[in-house]
Amino acid sequence: MPTLEIDGKEVTVPQGVNVLQACEIAGHEIPRFCYHERLSIAGNCRMCLVEMERSPKPIASCHMPAQDGMKVWTDTEMVRKARRGVMEFLLINHPLDCPICDQGGECDLQDQAMAYGFDRSRYEENKRAVPEKEMGPLIKTIMTRCIHCTRCIRFAAEVAGVEEIGAVGRGEHMEITTLEQAIDSELSGNLVDICPVGALTSRPYAFSARPWELRKTPSVDVMDAVGSNIRVDTRGRDVMRVLPRLHEDVNEEWIDDKTRHACDGLRRQRLDRPFVRNKKGRLEEATWDEAFTAIAKRLKGKTGEQVGAIAGDQCDAESMLALRDFMGTLGSPNLDCRQDGAKIGQGARAGYLFNTTIAGIEEADACLLVGTNPRREAAMLNARLRKRFLKGGFKVGVVGEQMDLTYQTEYLGAGPETLQQVADGKHPFAETLKNAEKPMIVLGQGALAREDGAAVLALGRQIAESFGMVQEAWNGFNVLHTAAARVAGLDLGLLPGTGGRDVEGILQGAETGEIDTVYLLAADEFDTSRLDNAFVVYQGHHGDAGAHAADVILPGAAYTEKNGTYVNTEGRVQLGRLAGFPPGEARDDWSILRALSAYTGQALPYDNLGQVRQKLIETADTFARIDQLAPAEWEAFGTRGKLGGEPFRSPVANFYMTDPISRNSETMARCTEAFILPKREATGTHG
Amino acid sequence: MRNSLVTRLYTRRHGIHVGEDQFGNQYYRNPNAHRAPGLLSSSEKRWVLYNGAPEASRVPPAWHAWLHHITDEPPADGGVPDRKPWEKEHAPNRTMTAEAYRPPGHTLRGGKRAKGTGDYEPWLPS
Repeated sequence: MPTLEIDGKEVTVPQGVNVLQACEIAGHEIPRFCYHERLSIAGNCRMCLVEMERSPKPIASCHMPAQDGMKVWTDTEMVRKARRGVMEFLLINHPLDCPICDQGGECDLQDQAMAYGFDRSRYEENKRAVPEKEMGPLIKTIMTRCIHCTRCIRFAAEVAGVEEIGAVGRGEHMEITTLEQAIDSELSGNLVDICPVGALTSRPYAFSARPWELRKTPSVDVMDAVGSNIRVDTRGRDVMRVLPRLHEDVNEEWIDDKTRHACDGLRRQRLDRPFVRNKKGRLEEATWDEAFTAIAKRLKGKTGEQVGAIAGDQCDAESMLALRDFMGTLGSPNLDCRQDGAKIGQGARAGYLFNTTIAGIEEADACLLVGTNPRREAAMLNARLRKRFLKGGFKVGVVGEQMDLTYQTEYLGAGPETLQQVADGKHPFAETLKNAEKPMIVLGQGALAREDGAAVLALGRQIAESFGMVQEAWNGFNVLHTAAARVAGLDLGLLPGTGGRDVEGILQGAETGEIDTVYLLAADEFDTSRLDNAFVVYQGHHGDAGAHAADVILPGAAYTEKNGTYVNTEGRVQLGRLAGFPPGEARDDWSILRALSAYTGQALPYDNLGQVRQKLIETADTFARIDQLAPAEWEAFGTRGKLGGEPFRSPVANFYMTDPISRNSETMARCTEAFILPKREATGTHG
Repeated sequence: MRNSLVTRLYTRRHGIHVGEDQFGNQYYRNPNAHRAPGLLSSSEKRWVLYNGAPEASRVPPAWHAWLHHITDEPPADGGVPDRKPWEKEHAPNRTMTAEAYRPPGHTLRGGKRAKGTGDYEPWLPS
């Protein structure tokens, strides 16, 4: 713990920090362009110069380790003069196009020029001009604005793990360049955030808004089960963009491209008014009253066994609770939240959580990925695995598809038989797991959402126990979800009751006519044509598969349009907040179910959000602990059974299109075109 | 609506007819009108009898100049140069008529406006 003097004040800082961080700890902000806490140090912008005792020249504080007895001054005449000089040189070749620059208002160079900029130019020669570079459908480049901080190069190489950005030339002629092709990384949107100037800007957002006219709402992402913390920027009720919000234990300060850019899907194909199918078999616009009456009429005289309900992948906990209670009033046991048919949720909570926690990955020293492609299913979690890998001493084994995860993996095999070999200790990787101090196993939905899912789950548990993955203060057993709503649904017990049907059972019942009415709560991810014989009520926000099969459509709210509670794959309860109201007649999802319950006879016992949340906590007390993780008890789950022979396949084939919102997003369609389709052609299955 | 009785009586007694514009409005002057205090040059009174409803914008620009003492000579006598070939025909104010201006996106102009904040595309059953 070195103690140093900064501006005449003594500070003790942790070992290993640099002078810049020490100054931050002491409460002095140091201007910087190239330095970034989560990237390696480049020290090439020279903006963070400070004066140090016994140093004839000012030193770059980001590059100087803090040592005992240092004397540093951050605001002397020498420092100011040096920074002014640096700034003047930076501005020599920086265009004066702030009024038409998308970074305007949130630009580091603009901000720092307020403090250190020279109010006129002494530069008489021609300014440098740099040709634009191709960076794909998400990033727009105006390379003349580049100040060569190299943050983008370091981010791509270190965090994203794609070495597709580099620099050519030196000095004034240096240029950041790509291989003239789109950056094929699901984290590429973060390049826009880390660029301190307007050289890399968001292409879908180009020229659409200014930062000061946007209302910023802290919220939570639902595109995957990571629950990245986001900030939703809205103008009116329009979501203009989504930015990451710092959460060290979940997404650090990054988010993936789907989270960031799928928001334009919120403007297309929205359900904004109720519809009821008329006698001629056509959907007709209706009032809420007519829609509820039609449902109540249909449900009249039906027994609970004839009704089924399926909850979707992006539902908030409030609406799922309302759905569960509504089905309770109908006396129906046919209720399921596992659209993909995953065999989880029966048994202990630890059996369906990512128990290691995302931050906990950094402590692990061996990892077995089973039937999952974290790069596609949970890109932020994959970034954490890569971060752990870069520290060294981290072996990753893969059972399932062969894939590029941006770090080195050992491919063990394709299916359950390989997993059985590992469990029996016959596979060489078993040795790695045995020798590891904190090993972990990640079971993906590709391994669980299949016929033998329960057996795979039990086998995963066996591996976890026999290789010492479950210790005191360390639980290496993980289930990686792909749906943001899944853990909340399982916590609330949206599972078939005694004698009830699961998703497959409901669909089969609908085909044979045993199930008369099916209630879909934003559930689209299955073959909805199987519901043709049943009366389908669809409540959701997009006209996707479910709406096409529906007989009554109730317009609900998307994730930016309601105050909702979400539980991520770790079991972390987080609050999403209303950023803009739902379109047209659409309403909060739980309130729709509450209103409908009054028509069918027995009104649900809550009238406002506070009462719903109270009920949530009564149902599962984990909901009382917002953003806190309690280790789940290691109790019984999983049933031994016969393993199938099918290889594991990741449920996510196209990272950019996994849910109604991203399927309706133009930006995601462009990404699919740029990144997914060319690869499919290369596999030879094309044409 | 017509010109008022008083105006017509005054015109008959004192008005000297000066000319007529393309819309049929009649222009008069009275060189002996009482000089109003503060009036600098011309002491004469100039006025117009509208052909039809009194509507100030129906006076074409050349006659407007003469009426307001901007020129001394009426247009017919070369007070104002002739209309240039590229100048448009004078048209009175069209507010309240069928040709009135409607902003883009107005219901009477097709109702199709440019995209704006808060717009969304609703799903409709096919």
